[in-house]
Amino acid sequence: MDDQMANRIEVKALSLSYGPEVVLDALSLPIPSGQITVLAGPNGCGKSTLLRAIRRLHAPQSGQVLLDAEDISKLNGKALGRRIGLLAQSPSAPQDMTVEELVRLGRYPHQAMMQPWGAGDDAAVAAAMVGTGVAEMRQRRIGSLSGGQLQRAWIAMVLAQETDVICLDEPVNHLDMAHQLDCLELVTRLNKEQGRTIVLVLHDLNLAARYADQLVFVADGKVRERGTPETMMRSDLIDEVFNVTAEIIIDPVHKRPICIPHRRS
Amino acid sequence: MTSMVEGMSRPVQADRSRWPVYAALALGLCVAMLASLTLGYKLYGLDKVWAALFAHDGSETATVIAGLRLPRALIAPLAGAALGMAGVMVQTLSRNRIASPDTLGLNAGASMAVVLAMVVFGVGSLGGLSLAAAIGALLTSIIVFGVAAGAGGLSPLKIVLVGVTFAGLAHAVVEIVLTSNEAQLQQLLFWLSGAFVDRPISLFFNGLPVVLVGAALAFTLTSALDALQADDATAASLGVPLLAVRGLTFVAVSLLTGAAVSMAGPVAFVGLVVPHAARGLVGLRHRHQLAAAALVGAIYTTLADVAARFVIYPVEAPVGAITAVVGAGTLVVLLMRRLA
Repeated sequence: MDDQMANRIEVKALSLSYGPEVVLDALSLPIPSGQITVLAGPNGCGKSTLLRAIRRLHAPQSGQVLLDAEDISKLNGKALGRRIGLLAQSPSAPQDMTVEELVRLGRYPHQAMMQPWGAGDDAAVAAAMVGTGVAEMRQRRIGSLSGGQLQRAWIAMVLAQETDVICLDEPVNHLDMAHQLDCLELVTRLNKEQGRTIVLVLHDLNLAARYADQLVFVADGKVRERGTPETMMRSDLIDEVFNVTAEIIIDPVHKRPICIPHRRS
Repeated sequence: MTSMVEGMSRPVQADRSRWPVYAALALGLCVAMLASLTLGYKLYGLDKVWAALFAHDGSETATVIAGLRLPRALIAPLAGAALGMAGVMVQTLSRNRIASPDTLGLNAGASMAVVLAMVVFGVGSLGGLSLAAAIGALLTSIIVFGVAAGAGGLSPLKIVLVGVTFAGLAHAVVEIVLTSNEAQLQQLLFWLSGAFVDRPISLFFNGLPVVLVGAALAFTLTSALDALQADDATAASLGVPLLAVRGLTFVAVSLLTGAAVSMAGPVAFVGLVVPHAARGLVGLRHRHQLAAAALVGAIYTTLADVAARFVIYPVEAPVGAITAVVGAGTLVVLLMRRLA
């Protein structure tokens, strides 16, 4: 694959600090078009900040993020909102908001002062709700939903944005095993069936290895290493990045590497 | 996806289904305004009211109806509509359902401006005090917004903290002035409790354009306000310019509150209670929240004004006292429901 042409996003020497604390340190990362890229790494390594910087929620001190070879700092907020969707970690909205009202928020970047809401908006909202399986609960208040239903409603909100790139920050946090799989299968379907470029932050290495096309280990504000799950899931590398000694075996069902952590090294 | 087509028609239908609500509210407002014209110390039939409005004959009926009842039947709903819309925006801005323009210190700032205008600058006319109230509300919003924004980012919590602090400060100034100026105490107290009685109709015509500008600004912000109901990261990633939207919302809120205070004084808790009723009727989209809050607010203050004529009949109670009692009760109910 021609690396240069196929990258939807190119993070170039991005440095970002909160005061004296350096969070991203001249970090570079290509994000291939139409693939699932998973960011993993220990707590505080900068992976969430990187995801937010890709959506320009943080201004970097230096470096740039290119979206289709275009510097995102030159795009306006709504234009970027039509191209990159971001589901924040633990997003919140009023408990008495209905699912449909929540999903409609995703249309914000498509609305202009002169033509506020059209049939295209209705279609996008309906498609997003059907695609995530929340269409039948559209009139329910989000405070009454279970954790899995709520997460699907939020993903529907991001889908309604109709962006080619979708970033999800720890989307399976607080979900039980069944709903974790539900959520990631849904994300995979968006990728395989609609060709969307997906960037995920995941804590669970085994889920990361199972769903990633490109797995990225972030440590100390830098990309420590990136590659396919097969090349990345090595005990020496996991020891180095996560400080855990682990054994790697191949999942007999999915033929993907999984890691069995022993102890803190 | 076959179910998409079926799904498409529904939101449109949901929009349409709100029209009965608006029609009922509009009807309710008409009834409330008629009640305000006919009921009071003296009762008048509708025929008498109609005749008196166009008589201009100097008769007692014409004087009472056109000179006393008509101004309050117009000022009360306009102030209520303004405070209702302002309340919706303040609650979204602060992401706090028990916030109101009072929380931002706007009423307290307006009260302080009125008191200082009267005592320090010797302003005595109702028009002058009305202007002072509007300026007070505007200056307060600039100060609160400035301090909250200056303290490193404009978070909802910061807005509330700065607003409540400023309100406390302004109240203290008012108290000091009141205790040291017994001569003007009666006049000041009357203003400070909020009332629609004895207001010249000119105040209505002064306030109307300001309310219209504030409402127009509010309605240009509806989709951004919708998105601001979510957390900052979500709103920002949708492309909402947070600081600009919050700043413009502050401007709309202070125009609406300033106009209301300039017409009627600080009518407490209207901006707290009304948004809850509006959301219950039409949901959380601001286009509807604002429209419903304007109508509900107008009905609420008009009825409160009618009630004020009867609670301690034959004397008039200040309408601010009535809305404060209703508002305090609502606040308790809201807090209990949240705990339950």
